[in-house]
Amino acid sequence: MPHYISVILDDERYAKIKGTPLEEKITYLFGGQLKSLVVEVPEEKSEQILKTFDKARIDSRGYIEDVPVAFRRAVFEEIAKAKSLDVIDKVLERLPEIQEAAKKEDEYIPPPEIE
Amino acid sequence: MPLIKTPPPHGGKLVDRVVKKREIAEKMIAGCPTFELKPTTLPDGTPIRHVYREIMSICYGFFSPVEGSMVQNELERVLNERRLLSEWIFPYPILFDVSEEDYKALDVKEGDRLLLMLKGQPFATIDIEEIYRIDPTDVATRTFGTPEKNPEVVREPFNEKHPGYMIYKMHNPVIIAGKYTIVNEPKFKEPFDRFWFPPAKCREVIKNEKKWRTVIAHQTRNVPHVGHEMLMKAAAFTGDIEPCHGILVNAIIGAKRRGDYPDEAILEGHEAVNKYGYIKPERHMVTFTLWDMRYGNPIESLLHGVIRQNMGCTHHMFGRDHAAVGEYYDMYATQILWGEGIPSFGFEAPPNEVDYGLKIMPQNMAEFWYCPICQEIAYSESCGHTDAKQKFSGSFLRGMVAEGVFPPRVVMRPEVYKAIVKWWKVYNYPFVNRKYLDMKNKELEIDLPAMEVPKA
Repeated sequence: MPHYISVILDDERYAKIKGTPLEEKITYLFGGQLKSLVVEVPEEKSEQILKTFDKARIDSRGYIEDVPVAFRRAVFEEIAKAKSLDVIDKVLERLPEIQEAAKKEDEYIPPPEIE
Repeated sequence: MPLIKTPPPHGGKLVDRVVKKREIAEKMIAGCPTFELKPTTLPDGTPIRHVYREIMSICYGFFSPVEGSMVQNELERVLNERRLLSEWIFPYPILFDVSEEDYKALDVKEGDRLLLMLKGQPFATIDIEEIYRIDPTDVATRTFGTPEKNPEVVREPFNEKHPGYMIYKMHNPVIIAGKYTIVNEPKFKEPFDRFWFPPAKCREVIKNEKKWRTVIAHQTRNVPHVGHEMLMKAAAFTGDIEPCHGILVNAIIGAKRRGDYPDEAILEGHEAVNKYGYIKPERHMVTFTLWDMRYGNPIESLLHGVIRQNMGCTHHMFGRDHAAVGEYYDMYATQILWGEGIPSFGFEAPPNEVDYGLKIMPQNMAEFWYCPICQEIAYSESCGHTDAKQKFSGSFLRGMVAEGVFPPRVVMRPEVYKAIVKWWKVYNYPFVNRKYLDMKNKELEIDLPAMEVPKA
C-alpha cells in the first residue's frame, strides 16, 4: 500500500509552480485555505524513509509525518525542478545530504519572521 | 433532573500541606538531615522527571487524598487494584526514590524527618514512615499493564520507547515513604504564575469570580488547534438543564517527550483562545498541574479525573487516544474505562460508579474534522461524508509549524501560532528537544526564597 507526503504550498512556493501543469494537481484543504501537493510514495520507499529518520511515522491518514524540515524542503525543490510529482527517487538520492541537514535540526530551526 | 453541583474533593477533603508561616517552618526543619532533590534521567542523562513536581501537586491538593510517598502496602494496592489503603481510587504509584549510595550517605531511619532541598534552598520535608526497596522494572510493567493481564485495552507490551514506562523503570530502588510538607513556598516564574490555580484557589475562583455551577475539564499537553477548540466548545454542551457554564483547561506541565510543544507555548496558546474571543474568557479559563506526564491513556485519565474533581470540575471530556503515545493501548481505552470499566485494572464499573470512586462525570467524545461538503468543522458521529474528511492531524500541523508556514485560521488561530513563535524565538526551537529538557530541569518553573536551616 503506498503512503503519501504532503507538501504545503505557501505563497512563495505557489509562485514557483504557478502556470505549470502542477497547478492542476494542487489539493485544496480546509475550505481552500490551504494548498498542498501530494506525492505518492511506494511502500518500500516509505520504509526506507522511516528507517532513515527515527522520528518519522505514518499517521492515521497514511501520510508520512514527523520527517525533518530538510526532507520536505528537498521534496519541494525536486518538484519545482521537475515540474512533476514523480520525484521520490530524486529525493532519496539526496538522503545523505538531507540527513546532514536534519542533524542540525535537533538543535536549531530558524523561527519565521512574523509580527 | 436535579441540578448538578460542584463535587466534593476526592477523598472528602482537599489536602493542604503547605506551611505558610516562616517561624513554624523553621522550627520544623531545625537540625534535619538534608537531601538535594535530583531528577530522574534516562541512561543518556536526559531528564524525564523531577519529583519536586509531585511534591507540589500533593501538598497543594491536586492529588488529594494522597499526602506523600506511598508505603509498600499502598504501592501494592495501587498496582493491583488502583486503590489507596483508605479505599479511595488512585491510579499511579507516587514514590520518593533514592539510590543505594544516597541512602547510605543519608543515614536516616523510620521516624526521622528529612529536609528536601531544591535549587540549594529548603523546599519540603518528608516524615519517614517506612523505607523499602522496589524492582523498578516490575513497578513500570505493572503500572501500565500487559497484553496478557489487561487484554481489554493493552495492545502491545510496554518498552523503552514509552516515556511513562521509562519514568518508573528509571526510579531508584530505595523508596522513602511518608508525608510531604512544603516549608518554603515557591514563587512561580512567568508565564506560569498567572496560570497557577491550586485546587482550593480554583474552587474559590469558580464559585465566587466566575460563578460557574457546572464546569467541564479539558486535558491538554498540546498547543490547541481548531479541532481542540471544537472539542471544547461541543463537549461543553453537556451539563444538566443547560450547557456547562465553564470550560477549565488544565495543562500538564513538566518533562515531556521530544516533539511536544514547550510548556510556555501550550499555556499561552490556550490563553490566546480566550484572550482573542474564540471562547470568551467568561466561559474559559487556563490552569496547569505540575506532573511529568506518564502518557498512560486510561490510567492517566483516572489521574486527570482526580485532579479536575479536586479543582472543582463537574465534568471531564475524554477524546480518542487520551494522553496516549504510540499504540500500546487501544485508542478507545480511556473511553472504555469511563464507559464500562476495565476489570483487570480493578474497575468492574466506570470510576464514577464504584464505591470510593470519583464524582466527576465523563463526557466521551469522538473526533472533529473539516468536511468540504458540509463546509464546516464537523463531528465524526454526525457527518456522513467520511470519505471527504480532512483531519486535524497533530503531526501534520507540527510539520507545517516546523517549516515556518503560517497555518490558516481554520486550522490554527493566528494568535495561537504567534504564541508558538514567541517561545520558538526564546528557545530557538518550536518543540521540546534535549536542550529544552536540560534547561527546564535546571531552571524549573519556580524559584525558592532564601531560607536558613536553623540548628537543632
